[in-house]
Amino acid sequence: MRNEQSSLLRNRLRVHRAMHDLTQEQLADKIGVSRQTVIAIESSKYLPSLGLAFKIAKLFKVKIEDIFSYEGGTNEN
Amino acid sequence: MNRKKYKQLRAVVILFVFAIVGLAVVHNSYLLSISGVLTGMVFMALVRSTTKIRVDEREATVREKAAQLTYAIFAPTLGIGAFLLLLPSSGVSSVFAKGEFMYLESLGMVFAYLTLFLIAMYAISYHFLNRKYGGGGNEE
Repeated sequence: MRNEQSSLLRNRLRVHRAMHDLTQEQLADKIGVSRQTVIAIESSKYLPSLGLAFKIAKLFKVKIEDIFSYEGGTNEN
Repeated sequence: MNRKKYKQLRAVVILFVFAIVGLAVVHNSYLLSISGVLTGMVFMALVRSTTKIRVDEREATVREKAAQLTYAIFAPTLGIGAFLLLLPSSGVSSVFAKGEFMYLESLGMVFAYLTLFLIAMYAISYHFLNRKYGGGGNEE
């Protein structure tokens, strides 16, 4: 699942999780996924869906772009 | 029931089914094995329907990729297998078209129909899923 997209997407999930003093297991329970998914997102091996990204942002009371940022250029098809 | 408990329960049910099937093999009883497998399936279906076990989205993605890979490998393998098994009976070589090798043609036919069935199933499910997720519409 690690593709070009995921290598261009950076996330600060680990930082926000530490700021809120949550373990991976606790975060996983709060957003309704498995701990493996949290680990995969933190290590940029898996790109979360838009719904899950919104859920994470809502949990930490921040904007999505505060957690996930795209570092690639614009891609016009 | 949370995901962890569900997984533990599933492991127990799988062990139970394996034990029953093993016992059935030892006692040479088809009925016991069928009833064991059916009991396990019904039990898991009941547990799933009474509790809300959400499928993790990463797990769903893994399943999709696995299914895609399985199809990509299985369909051509089956198709090529059918072609190779049917080839001798088409007159290229008469050695395999008679005697104890006659069953190869039947096996080739089975493989060929299975390939067609697989491709048809893929096409039908693709069509319906494409429509379900908004493809094929002309709305602007």
